[in-house]
Amino acid sequence: MPVMRRRPVCAVEDLPPGTMKLVPVGKYGVGVYNIGGSLHAIANYCAHEGAPLCAGFVGGTNEFAPDAPGHLRYVREGRILRCPWHQWEFDITTGQTVADAAKRVRIYQVDVTDGQVYLTA
Amino acid sequence: MSNPYPVIDANVSPHFRYNAEIRRYLPPSYRLRAIPDVEQQWYQAPGGDYRQDLYGEHYPASDRETLCRHLFDEGGAACAILNPLTRGNIADYLLNSRICAAVNDWLVERWLDADATGRLRGTIRVNPEDPRGAVAEIERLAAHPKMVQVGIPLQSREPYGKPVFEPIWAAAAAHNLPVAVHINGGNGVDHPPTFAGHAHTYPGYAAFMPLNSFVHLATLIIEGVFGRHADLRFVFADGGYDILTPLMWRLDTFWVSMRDQTPWVDRYPSEYLRDHVRFCSSAFDGPTDDTHAARWLDFTDKTELLMYGSAYPHWSTTSPTAATAGLSDVQREKVLSRNARELYGVGAEVEGSLS
Repeated sequence: MPVMRRRPVCAVEDLPPGTMKLVPVGKYGVGVYNIGGSLHAIANYCAHEGAPLCAGFVGGTNEFAPDAPGHLRYVREGRILRCPWHQWEFDITTGQTVADAAKRVRIYQVDVTDGQVYLTA
Repeated sequence: MSNPYPVIDANVSPHFRYNAEIRRYLPPSYRLRAIPDVEQQWYQAPGGDYRQDLYGEHYPASDRETLCRHLFDEGGAACAILNPLTRGNIADYLLNSRICAAVNDWLVERWLDADATGRLRGTIRVNPEDPRGAVAEIERLAAHPKMVQVGIPLQSREPYGKPVFEPIWAAAAAHNLPVAVHINGGNGVDHPPTFAGHAHTYPGYAAFMPLNSFVHLATLIIEGVFGRHADLRFVFADGGYDILTPLMWRLDTFWVSMRDQTPWVDRYPSEYLRDHVRFCSSAFDGPTDDTHAARWLDFTDKTELLMYGSAYPHWSTTSPTAATAGLSDVQREKVLSRNARELYGVGAEVEGSLS
């Protein structure tokens, strides 16, 4: 098993909210996301069939709102990564799909020291 | 035939003695209206829709004592759920609701109240194209102690998950009555019998018509009907369960990808089956090689979902032995007895008579 290592990603001002840096770690890479000022990292490998997950769009998801017109409420904006192949919805902060928490991909530690973003992966 | 448990026959269709007999049970305002005969005009089985030995002066399955002799004394069943046909989805939905009421009054008078064996149970036939009338009919008859389910046609111009039907399902669930979906008689204002249009001859019709049940089932799940009505159960009485597994796999797969469009579906679609769905056995379902039957029935929990239904007096009438060929003893007990006893609460009253 490869050893986890804390590695520099970029300066924090180069990863503003709503953006992602794909870090070439291991075979598939890891995506480091800034979600509203909070940093998260997720494997670039879909649990379903191995798609490059971080090529997917980031948005929110719908939850059931019985009293709302259309019965839908848009939630978790900026946290949901949709796999580009089959549209599975991954919560970047947990690695789990919205449909089934048992379907998940690995997430990693991110920290900021002296204005520098570090990924441990 | 000796089984250590009561065999429940969950799919039996009694008939009027002759088509016009229904008029005795219609109110005067509707008594002289044009009403289709009970036979479908197209796609009749070669040789007749019903078991050839049952044709006589009157329709097959129109004499109570003969039916009881065939099913109970000779067939080995302990109890039968009667689900009579009506006369198609008639454009005048108010007339159709009166036809349903006439069938129900006849069922109560000639079959349920007249039966001294205690082994017959009935179905409240309703017309889904008249939701208010259907709810009223359920309310009228739900208290009858021998009425154990609500009956509707498989033929429909909208899938049963649509909101227009929901008050009917709510009424059935409130009375703890399962809703049985069965290919109806008569000639209605219907869609073609297959997804792709009209079948050519009877084999095409008979092979594919029951598959329409999956469309009703999928919409009941996806449009949230089962999620909103915890006590609602649907029985698909014409089989179609041998395509249940691949189609549920398909539905589960799409749900993971498209869940955000229907977030009220808060579990895999297949997870609704055990609480909400049953099938009656059918001569046309299952592997052609019995050595595959036991393994095949365990896919998608069908062992828990399937109930024996003879389809008497249909030409394909199936005995308990034939319906469970190749199954394990555990599966056989569930299919012949337990699943229906748990759904309908029947069987206990005849259990003592079996020993």
